[in-house]
Amino acid sequence: MNMKRIVAVAHKEWREIVRDRVFFSLSFIVPVAMMLLLGYGLSLDVENIPFAVVDYDRSALSRDYAYRFIGSRYFSFKGYVSEERALARLLTGNKIRAAIIIPEKFQERLLSERSARVQTLIDGTFPSRTMITKGYVIAINSAASQELLAGYLARKGGMPLKEAQQLLQPVNVEVRFLYNQSVKSIWSIAPKLIMVILMVSPPFLTALGVVREKESGSIYNIYASTVSRGEFLIGKITPYIAISTFNSLVLWVLATQLFGAPFKGNFLFYLVSTFLYLICTTGIGLLVSVLVRTQIAAMMVTSIVTLMPAVLYSGVLIPITSLTKTAQMMAHCLPAMYYTNIVVGCFLKGVGLKVLWLDTLVLVLYATVLFTLGYSLFHKRPSS
Amino acid sequence: MTVKEFLQLFRDTVVLCFMVYVFTMDVYLAGSGVSLELKNAATVVHDADHSVASRELIYRFRPPYFKLDGEIANMEQGVRLLDQGAEMLALYIPPRFQENLGRGEPAAVQLQVDSTNSVLGLLAAGYGARIAGEFGLEAALRQTGVATGEQENLPVIQDDHRVWFNPNQNDAWFMSISELLTDITLFAIFLPGAAMVREKERGTVEQLLVSPLSPFQIMFPKILAMTAVILAGTAFSLFGVLEGVFHVPIQGSLILFFAVTTLYVFTTAGLGMFIATLARNMAQVGMLTVLIFLPMIFLSGAWTPPEAMTSWMRGLMYISPLHYFLDASFGILLKGAGLEILWDSVLAIALIGSINFGLGMWRFRRQFQ
Repeated sequence: MNMKRIVAVAHKEWREIVRDRVFFSLSFIVPVAMMLLLGYGLSLDVENIPFAVVDYDRSALSRDYAYRFIGSRYFSFKGYVSEERALARLLTGNKIRAAIIIPEKFQERLLSERSARVQTLIDGTFPSRTMITKGYVIAINSAASQELLAGYLARKGGMPLKEAQQLLQPVNVEVRFLYNQSVKSIWSIAPKLIMVILMVSPPFLTALGVVREKESGSIYNIYASTVSRGEFLIGKITPYIAISTFNSLVLWVLATQLFGAPFKGNFLFYLVSTFLYLICTTGIGLLVSVLVRTQIAAMMVTSIVTLMPAVLYSGVLIPITSLTKTAQMMAHCLPAMYYTNIVVGCFLKGVGLKVLWLDTLVLVLYATVLFTLGYSLFHKRPSS
Repeated sequence: MTVKEFLQLFRDTVVLCFMVYVFTMDVYLAGSGVSLELKNAATVVHDADHSVASRELIYRFRPPYFKLDGEIANMEQGVRLLDQGAEMLALYIPPRFQENLGRGEPAAVQLQVDSTNSVLGLLAAGYGARIAGEFGLEAALRQTGVATGEQENLPVIQDDHRVWFNPNQNDAWFMSISELLTDITLFAIFLPGAAMVREKERGTVEQLLVSPLSPFQIMFPKILAMTAVILAGTAFSLFGVLEGVFHVPIQGSLILFFAVTTLYVFTTAGLGMFIATLARNMAQVGMLTVLIFLPMIFLSGAWTPPEAMTSWMRGLMYISPLHYFLDASFGILLKGAGLEILWDSVLAIALIGSINFGLGMWRFRRQFQ
């Protein structure tokens, strides 16, 4: 290892990156753009679900009932419809996502102290939206039932309405949300986005940078030079790690300042582990670039090995414990999951090395393995 | 020219492999992996009462939503487990829970939820509260003796909800279709752009320039070849993965679906051509594609429902052609809708598409002069 030669390769690489203006500016713009888009876009707080009502009863009680939905901020009322067939048309044409059908004798049955049935139709094309909609419907219905029941008990048992209501809810659940007290989706998403973006962008840059030399043939200069394999690889990736480190800081600022995510952990620990993670992901890019020959292939392989696993098998959307067994195994083989634990720990939980030592250790191991592999697969004497 | 494009495409094994991968494995993975339902949320319990009532309540926290991982000795242990991320929920039942319940006094249980994933945190809290509410209501009704069990004879509202188009809320149906549509978009932008820039990189574009072809005659065969390949991939994925593996019921007319897809791919390819005029090498094409592609997905409702977007984003959504393509495709595939219902979406695809195509064409023409 000769420091001077490493610096020379790094310098050459840096020049090359800076001179390709579009590449240079995009390598900073893409991560920030992804952060902004995903941060604002990846929200699942469903509100204003468009719905319509068919009221066959047209009584005071049925109107009261419908008003529970109309007045809710979770639903957006699109008007009364005269018959069910019209509902089908609206649902199929994506004009409404839910519909409520109140049958005849709704008021009559309730007043005579019998149960009344209502029907709710929900558009099932987007399951998570369906589930949330169903949750709202159930909540509104059970609130309505509870009120009716309390009134009934009060009349039957001759007690005040308040007491009857209390009697019906003997078990109170005190829910305490840990780590993200106000349950803001952006708080939980912003830190994980840093993970996803740092998983995708460094390998992309690195893979393209190395493969470009292969494609243009300038790699033969390296083959013929006195630069050793290790010196070349280290010099080559240094500028990319530098760019990514800068990007990671920008992302951190965006997460804490723009999205207002809390940062409760130790900043130094966060920096060190992020740097480790960057070395891992850059290593993935390096490995890809050693294996493929064209830039287009580099882009495709990188996107396959980084993007999907980073989103699916890292605990970003689905907690690891809810994954299937094979998916859990995949998750444990990739660095994304370990770094997710670290970012979530640093941002939301405020835990440090004491809890996260294992995750950090795995990242160190991962980086070592990747670079050893990249080093041993990169030959100055191409076999063909 | 079209033949040349086909030949070039088929000789590029890497791209072909990638296309095969995306149209099979990627769609399959998306369909089988992602589910935003609360499933087997790891739960631990601290039961300080150890009574019949407390056990009955605990017993109700069970799959599919919850998964009991056993009891813990105290609250601190629960917090530690949550810190480590080993568990998601911790339920505490106070001493004398049954006694309080028996006397008709309110009894409070505590549920600690790891809300680092806000959606699942909220869902878990909601389900937990519902379980406790039902448990309490049943206990209360038994207690007061006013009503003896039968719901039929109580003035309550019985809700009968029906989910249309996907009765079991099979995530695989939604995810695989939406992934397929996203992939179609990706290729529609990327392939023509990449093909064009490769000619630039290799210098073969000079040959095209001196040949007696108009810009349109150069651009059109490229798009035509790519569209055909993408359509083939789509068909493969639709019949092989969607129908074959996930058993997605295809309700509507396939001819209509492919017609809409062709229209969509063809017009979106204009964006790819547009990129090709801006970029000088492959790396730039890749990054520009990402830059155009990502907003298109996010503004389309493929990953988040439009109802979850802020109002200004929903305004922007109307310019993303993918949004209309999604509406139309879900309409045809799952809902069995015909052109008479979906005409507005198709019209929007055609409109936005011709703008894109025109833009690509215009830049392309200008570059040649």
